[in-house]
Amino acid sequence: MPGHRTKGFCASAAALALCAVLAGCGGSGESVGGGGKVVLRYAWWGNPDRAALTNQAVALFEKRHPNVQVQTSYSSYDAYKQKLAVQATGGDAPDVMQLDYRQINQYASGGVLLDLGKQKALLHTSEIDQGLLATGKVDGTQYAIPQGRGTETVVYDAKAWKASGVPLPHKGWTWDDWADDMRALAKRTGKPGATDPGQNEDAFEVWLRGQGKSLYTKANGLGFTADDLTRWWTFTDGLRREGAVSPAEQTTQLAGFVENTPLARGKATADNNWDAPSSGFLAFIPTGIALAPMPSGEDGTPGQYFKPSMFLGVSANTGHAKESAELVDFLLNDRDAAKILGATRGIPVNESIRKETESQLKDFDKTISDYQASVDGTLKDPPQAPPSGDNALQSTFQRDYDQVSYERMSPRKAAENYITEAKAELRS
Amino acid sequence: MTTTEIPAPTARPKRPTAAPKRRPKREREGAAWVFLSPWVLGACVLTLLPMAVSLYLSFTDYNLFDPPRWIGLRNYTQMFTEDPRYWRSVVTTLTYVVIAVPLQLALALVVALALKSMKSGKAFYRSAFYAPSLLGASMSIALVWRAVFNDGGTVDNLVGNGGWVNKPGWSLVAVALLTVWQFGAPMVIFLAGLQQIPAELYEAAAVDGAGKWRQFMSITVPMLSPVLFFNLVLQTIQAFQVFTPAFAISGGRGGPADSTLVYTLYLYDRGFVASHMGYASAMAWVLLLVIGAVTAVLFRTSRSWVFYASEGDR
Repeated sequence: MPGHRTKGFCASAAALALCAVLAGCGGSGESVGGGGKVVLRYAWWGNPDRAALTNQAVALFEKRHPNVQVQTSYSSYDAYKQKLAVQATGGDAPDVMQLDYRQINQYASGGVLLDLGKQKALLHTSEIDQGLLATGKVDGTQYAIPQGRGTETVVYDAKAWKASGVPLPHKGWTWDDWADDMRALAKRTGKPGATDPGQNEDAFEVWLRGQGKSLYTKANGLGFTADDLTRWWTFTDGLRREGAVSPAEQTTQLAGFVENTPLARGKATADNNWDAPSSGFLAFIPTGIALAPMPSGEDGTPGQYFKPSMFLGVSANTGHAKESAELVDFLLNDRDAAKILGATRGIPVNESIRKETESQLKDFDKTISDYQASVDGTLKDPPQAPPSGDNALQSTFQRDYDQVSYERMSPRKAAENYITEAKAELRS
Repeated sequence: MTTTEIPAPTARPKRPTAAPKRRPKREREGAAWVFLSPWVLGACVLTLLPMAVSLYLSFTDYNLFDPPRWIGLRNYTQMFTEDPRYWRSVVTTLTYVVIAVPLQLALALVVALALKSMKSGKAFYRSAFYAPSLLGASMSIALVWRAVFNDGGTVDNLVGNGGWVNKPGWSLVAVALLTVWQFGAPMVIFLAGLQQIPAELYEAAAVDGAGKWRQFMSITVPMLSPVLFFNLVLQTIQAFQVFTPAFAISGGRGGPADSTLVYTLYLYDRGFVASHMGYASAMAWVLLLVIGAVTAVLFRTSRSWVFYASEGDR
């Protein structure tokens, strides 16, 4: 190595390594059909139990449509939303994709989604509640079809909670009741009562709505102030300091799969989640879990609401609009598919299927159905679809709370940071 | 052993003497370009073009879905004046570079010295120590790393401090250790450099009564300094661009409490999570300029401590 060439060699190697900085982002792949079959790609987020059922239903679809092969893929919500964003912008979105309420605005206006109104002949929507169906419309065009109805819940280890001797959660409990129960659970079980809800934008929304406020205004501005957020974070941070909810080290591990939650890891007695994905906890708590309503505001105002738990959309770039529409129709309207899928994505949206299957629902599907029935009619109207910036703000919310729970910032300072970031995000 | 089987050395003298000794310059360059073409094409299409596009995007507001909108220097001013998280990522990256690079180079040098003095089994150990560099770049190792350093993981069970990856003060150390563990490439280069140091220098030093340490400081270090410099520059550049270990160990979020939010991870977050491609591009260009500046400074200081044997001869 030592020699007169070393320096020049060194410099050019350095220059090459530098270029790698800027050439980081690559292209996209292309799906090609094999054996003369039409190949569809279908992707969703969810826990493994949902994947098992979905793959069963897809197998039945393939049996009915021998010319179609469906490639499925799933991941946790966090990973899914990043992957889909990259695929969508590269024009490589899956033919059929599961979408969240948060994504519809952005994807529809970005030209990622196919107008499903044009596929009416194959994709029937007449048996879906018109109000619910309209949540999949952007500027009057049906870009996505709701696939289920969900609401938030306090999910808990039924056996452990009973054994602790703390009275079971009851309808109409308030956030103060909830906090008292978490303290009591921590005292009797020796571990935190629940996951710290401070990092969860959804939980904050329920709390906020319980006070008659909302995350976003009708004009897509922020519906709350730094004072509101400071109060929420002071509340949850206080509980964390008392040991009533999970410590920062556990809270920070949440990533969209139930397996990372303190409840599933045996480090807490309760959690809050959406009702349908709560079935994922059964793999970790075989003795059984139960669902309770989310706490309401001090005056009894309920904060939780029914929202379309997820949507199905078809890529505008699909080469197989017909087959994609058939798959969507099958997943929503086929009786056999409904039997397989149960309530893994929420209670079915097809009214006649729902009525038919309601009595046949078993196990956890029945738990979800009963839970929804128990709160049905008492909840307030859902908010409109969140503005597109909300997609990024969900992560920002979690990050800013990390600063609070690791005691690196006061709730006030972190809340002010969040408001600044949120305003910038919503403006752009 | 016969060398007569190889015809090449005798081929040229047999050529007709009328032919020019060397082909015209232009023709020789043409052939060079033909052989270079795959690389040149790749460099233009996959490196230079994306670089040009990213330079343009850095002056725009681009959310991936709508067409880019020209906003001039807005991304840059926002970065420097309105984004506290940006500055946190800068501090995190600098901390990482300062921890990881010296540790990695020191370890590489120590192992290379040990290997050099080995009598047998050198090839085996060289491969064994290089293996992590081949594995380490992969996502799977990073995930294993996360499991090892998580609460309830191996390190937690041994040391009992509750899992480094969930402690803001320790998580960056876990990331740095993953890099340090991949010391194979600098080690192999050190080893090559060590083997080129003439043995007579050591013999002469030994005759003069120099001990091992004196030999190391007075012969090994100066003779190895060009290689040391080469490794230092390359590893520094790579360390500034660290992404995979930080991404995997923090589950893609740079947590806990932004403690592993290195520059490129924040860049990724802005670009692919928050869909601000213009801002992310601007960040990439600032990174390029900063690494360029740091490299230039390293080159400048090298004059005072890097010893080139050939220059000494002159």
